[in-house]
Amino acid sequence: MTSRDEFRFLADLVLKRSGADETIVTIQDQHGGTARFANNRIVQNVDTRRGMLTVSVAFDGCRGSASTTDFTAGSVQEALARAERIARVSPEDPEYLPAPDPQVFPTRQTSRPETAMAGPSRRLEYANEAIGQCRIENLQAAGIVSSSVASVGVAASNGLFAQEERSEARFSLTVQAEDATGWSAAAHRSIDHLKIQDRTLSAINKAKRGRDVQELSPGHYRVILEPAAVAGLWSWILWTLDAKSYEKGTSPFSGQLGRQIVDERLTLKNLPDHPDLLGTGFTQEGLSSEDAMWIEKGVLKQLAYDRFTAKKQGIKRIATLDAPCLSASGPTAFKTQELIKQCERAILVTNFWYIRTVNQTDLTLTGMTRDGTFLVEDGQIISAVRNFRFHESPLRVFKQVEAFTEAAEAVTSETGKVLVPAMVLRDFYFSSVTRF
Amino acid sequence: MPNPSWDEMAELALKRVAASGAEYGDIRLVRSTSQSVSGEDRRIASIRDVDDAGFGVRVLYHGGWGFAASSILSLEEVPRVAELAIDIARGSASLASEKVRLVDEPVHRDRVVTASRIDPFTVPLEQKTTLLREVMECLQRQSEVVRSSATLWARRDRKLFVSTEGTRLDFDLLAVQGEFTATARHDGRFASRSFATPHLRTGYELIEAANFLAETPRIASQAVEKVKAAPVRPGMYDLVLDPEHLSLTMHESCGHPSELDRALGYEANYAGTSFLTTEKRGIFRYGSPCVNLVADNTEAETLAATGYDDDGVACQKWDIVREGLFVDYCTNREVASKIGEARSKGSNRADSWGSVPIVRIANIGLEPGTDSLDDLLADVKRGIYIEGHGSYSIDQRRYNFQFGGDAFWLIENGKRTQMLRDVIYHGITPEFWNSCDGVADRGHRRRYGFITCGKGQPGQSGWMTHAASHARFRRVAVIKG
Repeated sequence: MTSRDEFRFLADLVLKRSGADETIVTIQDQHGGTARFANNRIVQNVDTRRGMLTVSVAFDGCRGSASTTDFTAGSVQEALARAERIARVSPEDPEYLPAPDPQVFPTRQTSRPETAMAGPSRRLEYANEAIGQCRIENLQAAGIVSSSVASVGVAASNGLFAQEERSEARFSLTVQAEDATGWSAAAHRSIDHLKIQDRTLSAINKAKRGRDVQELSPGHYRVILEPAAVAGLWSWILWTLDAKSYEKGTSPFSGQLGRQIVDERLTLKNLPDHPDLLGTGFTQEGLSSEDAMWIEKGVLKQLAYDRFTAKKQGIKRIATLDAPCLSASGPTAFKTQELIKQCERAILVTNFWYIRTVNQTDLTLTGMTRDGTFLVEDGQIISAVRNFRFHESPLRVFKQVEAFTEAAEAVTSETGKVLVPAMVLRDFYFSSVTRF
Repeated sequence: MPNPSWDEMAELALKRVAASGAEYGDIRLVRSTSQSVSGEDRRIASIRDVDDAGFGVRVLYHGGWGFAASSILSLEEVPRVAELAIDIARGSASLASEKVRLVDEPVHRDRVVTASRIDPFTVPLEQKTTLLREVMECLQRQSEVVRSSATLWARRDRKLFVSTEGTRLDFDLLAVQGEFTATARHDGRFASRSFATPHLRTGYELIEAANFLAETPRIASQAVEKVKAAPVRPGMYDLVLDPEHLSLTMHESCGHPSELDRALGYEANYAGTSFLTTEKRGIFRYGSPCVNLVADNTEAETLAATGYDDDGVACQKWDIVREGLFVDYCTNREVASKIGEARSKGSNRADSWGSVPIVRIANIGLEPGTDSLDDLLADVKRGIYIEGHGSYSIDQRRYNFQFGGDAFWLIENGKRTQMLRDVIYHGITPEFWNSCDGVADRGHRRRYGFITCGKGQPGQSGWMTHAASHARFRRVAVIKG
């Protein structure tokens, strides 16, 4: 994998030869693999090294960019030549800005040696552990164990330079008990923190509880959303906070900056130093990743700025959102189980799946419940229920928060990793039911 | 061949694999060159030129799979990667409770080249940026259009596939696409209307024939009309769906459930399984008698028509649904034997040199019927005509779906009348396809494709084309989005 010195050498190779007004070099050199299993056996076992170096240049505000997977001197210089050729025939970009000024970036423990050293045998060992527990229960396991380490860097002709290693390990498991499924997932910088056994037991328990299933009618329900389900809805809030759409009036948040958009007890921060989040030291654009307040006591405080819009709006420091943490103030429950005990009648949702926008103006979303949906009555899980389709805006339902836990780790197949509480929401609309 | 040493590298890798005692091995060496020119709000926002090259070695050892890949194309890296793939396969085999067995395939030695008249990589960049700027300018000339975007995309894949069975396949494949969007704002709302060519394996002639500038006034004015349109009144409607819209409906509700690996549980942890379980094959009433869904990976220009798949299996044509009855799956050499098939359908594809091939949806299309579009509309008292793609979501077994669209018109007494907004329809897959009572004729047939079909862990983007003529569906539940 490309070391800091090797990246500096490659960057210098480009920067010294570039004839452009400005040149930026970025690198992503990743080595990792995945053991994938289904029906209690390994179905896929892969290991890939992929490096990608990108050269971006500008002449009088005319930009060009070229990438290559070949890090030999000839290829890197060819990428520079391609970028220059593109820039010379490109129209001037009115939003062009030179690279950010050089700065000292925060040093974070973004890579853990135990993950970087983990190879196919460690991944296989963890996969076998999950499969073994499911076999004992006479259940079917499907899932993945993955680990990777990447060298990520950015360098510019104005002296900007940043490079860091980032490791990541992931585990996810779907347990099948006849027609029922249970699910659990984890992601961490350290492969030692995947908690394979605990998470496998959790998925097994969900699957076993799902065997006794009933169908309920679609309609409005009180819901208990586990952290993964909360994260699924919140991801769409985070993805639609871009400042340019806000400014053009094509954002669901237009006109809402400084106003309350969710329950006043909810606060969203970026916490890149949090040991359980996947915070980084810098962005691909060469911006520093720092603590930032995005939503404070329900009030929208921040937008996701591109550099041009930030400059236009006089924003000095662009906030990043690489390590989101949503927390709730006030009395909290310790675990989801305590939320269940508080509910007279509710639907407990483990996770959502295939969430998509239905109406961008008010951020109405749709999606399905998945891998563990249960009816709660009188503080207890009564039975599993057939999966529902929902039709809701997170901007409506997160104004109706009744109770919550402390922020907990949440990872889903469609989102990154976040810290969010489990929550009880008073009124949530399920528009239809599926066959299982 | 872009690199004269590729054959040498393939030989080096496969010698190692053969010496290991593995029963099967293959190597794919790929150089993918792509160019994407993107405009946003009248400006060219980015021009990206990517040269992505590497190789992947796949090994089947005592019934266990191993795969290793690298972007370092050197004679020193090949043995390391080949040995790693062998070691990984040995590890998989040590845990194999059921051994993988590949169905037979004849040995092939062939070269496949995309036919094209204009190589998209030789078209001057200025010509592309000028076109996109003119398109965006024209879109934003329409009052109340507040945003615009436009994109041209092209990719060339040069690939060498060699297997221990003696198959050697050499590919030079192209794909091209272009699209643009106008976003209008009115009364606190905003809405978009898009125009897109299909993704096809052809040259830049696809873009020239699409005549973007002739289409921009219609798209811009329809964006404004859409944002000002009356919202749909929820209820049961007859739907007439255009081929572009149907491509997504077919993809999600027919394509994915027909992937045999899903039906067998391989995707249970991510993309999901399938309601089309194996005991339903040949007996399950998927749709009405007018529903014929055919997989055709041999039709020229379509995305999955690559001559051979990444198992080295020749592309084929077969029925998925015949006169409404579910009859067959998309398969690869591994899963075909699990339903008693002697040969794979040749639908195993990887999205790059760094990914292992997995079962992919074929070019599944709806066979034409005998009606004209006017015939389909004429028999609708109260319905909705839908064009293009919008919101989409479906459960992990592909039963419960929900779709929007790009543009909607009310049908009243057999005629398209005013535009509507916020139309969403939902249903259960077999109930929906059983409500189909008319398909337009071959003259209405259009092809649309996808290059971002997500599946697999690590995630891969699949490519396939879905052709259809307009089709009519009776009494479908519609809600306001």
